[in-house]
This record gives sequence, C-alpha cells and structure tokens, in this order.
Amino acid sequence: MFSLFYGLWKYMFSKKEFHVLVLGIEKSGKTTLLEKLKSLYSNLEGLPPDRIVPTVGLNVGRVELPNAKLVFWDLGGQPGLRSIWEKYYEEAHAVVFVIDASCPSRFEDSKSALEKVLRNDDLQGAPLLILANKQDLPEAVSTEELALYLDMKKLDERVSMYEAVSAYDGLGIRESVEWLVEVMERSKRTEMLSARAVATPG
Amino acid sequence: MGIVFTRLFSSLFGNKEARILVLGLDNAGKTTILYRLQMGEVVSTIPTIGFNVETVQYNNIKFQVWDLGGQTSIRPYWRCYFPNTQAIIYVVDSSDTDRLVIAKDEFHAILEEEELRGAVVLIFANKQDLPGAVDDAAISEALELHKIKSRQWSIFKTSAIKGEGLFEGLDWLSNTLKSGGG
Repeated sequence: MFSLFYGLWKYMFSKKEFHVLVLGIEKSGKTTLLEKLKSLYSNLEGLPPDRIVPTVGLNVGRVELPNAKLVFWDLGGQPGLRSIWEKYYEEAHAVVFVIDASCPSRFEDSKSALEKVLRNDDLQGAPLLILANKQDLPEAVSTEELALYLDMKKLDERVSMYEAVSAYDGLGIRESVEWLVEVMERSKRTEMLSARAVATPG
Repeated sequence: MGIVFTRLFSSLFGNKEARILVLGLDNAGKTTILYRLQMGEVVSTIPTIGFNVETVQYNNIKFQVWDLGGQTSIRPYWRCYFPNTQAIIYVVDSSDTDRLVIAKDEFHAILEEEELRGAVVLIFANKQDLPGAVDDAAISEALELHKIKSRQWSIFKTSAIKGEGLFEGLDWLSNTLKSGGG
C-alpha cells in the first residue's frame, strides 16, 4: 500500500531530468552562457566572462527548476573538437545552438556547422533553440536578421525558435529556459527517450 | 568574531586547497609533470614505486598534487588515495599508441569508483614533442571521453619536457574548481 502511494507521489512530484546540448562554433559564447545559467539559477557564483578559457572538452551545468531539472552539456566548439558533439546526440532532449550575432563574417561557418548537426539522425525530433548571442554589443544583429542570414530551410518540421540573448548581461536567458522546458515536456523525443530509458535501465 | 574575520580574509584572498591525483600508465610522464609544475624545471626521474606528493600554488589555489606510480603491479594501490579528491589529472603518453587501449580501460575503471564521483577530470595528452605523438582529438577518441556525461572534463596537449600546455590545464582546473564544478 505504501509503495503504491509512494509511486503515485513520485509520479506526481518527481522532477523530470532533461539533457540540453549547448553547441556552436568557437567564440560564440557557450561557456559564458553556461556560467550565466549557473549564477541565475543556483547559488553558485558563475565564472566571470574574462576568466573563461576556450573549452576543450565538456562543461556541465545543472539548473533546478520548480518542475524540472536541466543538465546542460557545453561542448568545445573548435573545428577539431566538433567530432565529439555527435557522441552526445543520442541522449539529448534538445539542442541550443549559440551564434555570435555581432560577427557576420562567421555566420557562414555557423550555418554549415548547424546544418551538419541537424542532418544527424540521432537528433531526430529534438527541439532547437537558436541563440543570437552577444546582444550587449552594439553591432549585434537581431534574430530576424540572423534568420535571414542563416536561411535555414529545413527547420519547418522541427520545433524551433530564435531568441536574442546576452550571455554577458543575462538578457533573454530566462525566456530561453522557459521555452526549452515547455517544448521538451511535450516533445515526442522526450517520450521516445524515456521509453528507451525504461527498456534499458541503467 | 575571530572566525568571521578569518572567513572574510580567506574569501578575499582565498587560498583554497585542492587535492589532486595524477594518474596514468607507467612511463606516461606523471613525475616529470609534477616537478615541472612545482619547480618549473625538468628533473630526471626514475619509475615511481609508491608516490610523490608536492604542493603547487597557482591562481590562489593550493594544489596538493599526488603522483602515484603507474606500473601494473602497483595500480591497485591507487584507490587508497581516492577519498577527498577534487580532481584527477590523467596523463597519457600520446606516442605510445599501442597501449592506448590499456590507458582507456584503466581510465574508465577509475571513473567508476564511488569515491571519485565528484572529481573533475583533466587529461594531459603528453609527450607532444615526440614524432609519433597523436593529437588531442585522437586521444579523446581513444580514451572514449564522450562516455563521460555527468562531470566536467577537459583535454590538453602537453609536453612536460618543453613545459607546454601544463599551466593551461591548471587554469582550467582552478576555474572549474572555483565555479563549483563536477
């Protein structure tokens, strides 16, 4: 009897854990974003942006919300390291793709990196959030302009959104997280991933 | 009251202490790295039977660095040093491609250890000065670093002999430990 109630309790109140991949080419601000997330959502003091060094590996950020737990995986963006990205696709619930909106000369690189990410079958159905980062800089372009530059044709069938953010001062970050939680909670991919977790425990 | 001042003082001038284990197969260059970090010079080493321990002060963190002997017969004793460890530096001889599989197995065995659950992982792809050395991407692949999903990791190309890459690694380590990594 107890275990029945416990099960019900757990079902109603336990928080779902979501894995969010943070991708983007080097210098787009992924780690700065991660540190900002940490300082906005937990008591941890995030690293100040001037102390952040290029990531050669994985940074993990955990965000605890009233209704969900998010684990952010921030992977290094230098060309030689991008081969690691795909190893994390299978378990990701959603993808955040960070672009330095103040640097149009690298939009083409971002576009081809993003297209490559989206082509991978392991990310099928994963919601995509494209961040036009560095809005604190005067030369940063808006989300509309960025969308024009990128001209992503194959986005229609995927749940996706553009958001203007500044990892430096925190603009748009809470909105981004809210959107992510909302779409991940009702995405087919989340269902698929939890079904697989039940099938292969551990 | 005194305690308040002590706390304030240490948070302002914060000398954190961190316990770090340097692990890796024999002849990976662990001892050379330890003394390069501590004294800034290359010392001639002999295979370590047992351990060397030194304190390295860097970026306001006092690293207590334990270099444990890497030979097969003494690897089982590594675990005696696992409790209270904040970070592992795993050293790989990047030119010893024949033994990368063994390096990988030992590495993942370490990660399984309950007592090291909270430790962050820094990998040194060492001996980059040697002609046959493979790069950091190849070492990441060989060690299957992508299987690590619940803790922070980073890899650096190093040459202990030339002193390259080591302090970049420590930079990452001190940043990660300060921002409450793991």
